[in-house]
Amino acid sequence: MDDRTAPRPLPGMSFQATATAGTSTSPGTARPMISTRNLDFHYGASQALKGISLDFPARQVTGLIGPSGCGKSTLLRVLNRMYDLYPGQRATGEVLLDGETIIGPHVDANRLRSRVGMVFQKPTPFPMSVESNVAFGIRLHERLGRADMAARIEDALRRVALWNEVKDRLRTSATSLSGGQQQRLCIARTIATRPEVILLDEPTSALDPISTARIEELLDELKQDFTIAIVTHNLQQAARCADRVAFFYMGELVEVDEASRLFTTPRQKRTQDYITGRFG
Amino acid sequence: MSATAAMKAPTRDLGLLRRRRAADMVATVLCFAATLVVLAALASILWTLVANGIGGLTLRTLTRVTAPAGGNGGLLNPLVGSVIQVALATLLGTPIGLLAGIYLAEYGTGSAVANAVRFVSDMLLSAPSILVGLFVYLVLVAPFHHFSGWAGVVALAILVVPIVVRTSEDMLRLVPLSMREAAAALGAPHWKVVLLVCVRAARRGMMTGVLLAVARISGETAPLLFTSLGNLNWSLSLNRSMASLPVTIYQYAGSPADDWVQLAWTAALLITVGVLLINIAARLGLRGGDR
Repeated sequence: MDDRTAPRPLPGMSFQATATAGTSTSPGTARPMISTRNLDFHYGASQALKGISLDFPARQVTGLIGPSGCGKSTLLRVLNRMYDLYPGQRATGEVLLDGETIIGPHVDANRLRSRVGMVFQKPTPFPMSVESNVAFGIRLHERLGRADMAARIEDALRRVALWNEVKDRLRTSATSLSGGQQQRLCIARTIATRPEVILLDEPTSALDPISTARIEELLDELKQDFTIAIVTHNLQQAARCADRVAFFYMGELVEVDEASRLFTTPRQKRTQDYITGRFG
Repeated sequence: MSATAAMKAPTRDLGLLRRRRAADMVATVLCFAATLVVLAALASILWTLVANGIGGLTLRTLTRVTAPAGGNGGLLNPLVGSVIQVALATLLGTPIGLLAGIYLAEYGTGSAVANAVRFVSDMLLSAPSILVGLFVYLVLVAPFHHFSGWAGVVALAILVVPIVVRTSEDMLRLVPLSMREAAAALGAPHWKVVLLVCVRAARRGMMTGVLLAVARISGETAPLLFTSLGNLNWSLSLNRSMASLPVTIYQYAGSPADDWVQLAWTAALLITVGVLLINIAARLGLRGGDR
């Protein structure tokens, strides 16, 4: 939980050390884009998160791992206030986005969500054309002319490497795309609104290995511009994609460290047991 | 012990398999038989309708106003009256039904008001339509001392509302939660999530509900008997009594005059074909419109 990580990258691991010029050069102490302090979360009477204090460094991929029901998805849904949609769910504690608090009645959840985008487990294309899917998010927050809008849509689709596959069918229904294409479309839709943070909730668990690999490649590209938090059940995926990994168990944050270290020399026995497959 | 069980298992399974195959066969045959009975009844109705009605389907029927028995009359005024009343009732009842359905599915979850609205709407759905006619008679006919097309429109609209409420609520509830969350996650306020995503996803189903309602009111007679009454003369005024196909069927079918009976069959055929055409047109219009 503490940030005592030293800049000691292992051979073969590349870290996003120079994310922004002028800020710290070590991954462990990079400026946090999101920090939570003593964050508790309740679903009605049951507590799902217990005193979580965690930093999400800017322009890095933070992986959240842990067995089902450990609270990792819940944490993600706090960061864009998704839980607001459901009565009886409440978060207490402090969550800062770039230094500003995001928990509290005076914070506009819709504006927050334009800054913190989310991609879900199953692809969720809207029942409209490919083009309209991407335009949907943009139109919520900006008024763009026809040419600007087309440029934004093309840019978003290029960034998720979908442009060449869909440029001739921008006006066909998004539901006619394959699952992997749909998921990349959803990522394009999210980045088109130009958020600062992207939350991914098991984004590849419904996809085949090839589509999964493409999304993982994409994460590497996207972290040049976005701060990314990804929940995954796939430990290899966390090891491949994440700069830092946080291990959750029963609503508690057990350990957070650079991916290379958490998977090779975990400090906690519970982490060790989980990553070696002894439970979960 | 377990080895013997494993060796015996195949012989026992064969008997079980045979029984299952037999049960499957019986169930399949019963299902086909039931389907055949229903289809045969439907085919018989349609055949009778076409056989008896097609003879009267002439230009004269469609262009001449109703006349006394033997007077060489047509069905122009009931046809036009029905189209006007059904169209206006649909225009009046559909928005109310859609909005109420959206409220029930998207805003009123768990609230006492929503539960009450849903209960009343379901009651109305199964209420005898003659009661609706009597209600409108008391409210819109008796106080003004005359029957009117408007009263007929209102009575039919009251029948449209609960059908549209029920289907639109059901269809909206089928929209997956993940799609709502995805829209909200982009920063869409609730009303935009509902209108731009949920209603869009459910629009085919909601349209089917409207078509069901149109089909239902096209053949309704009882609510019109107390409201628009029927009119033997040409009239487009909604402030006066207005002719309609169902009421004309009601009046003509039991008559001793052969030409009236013939016109009643033709009127029934017109309603059926009309509803069929509306359905086909709407389905064609909705197909491929996934923009």
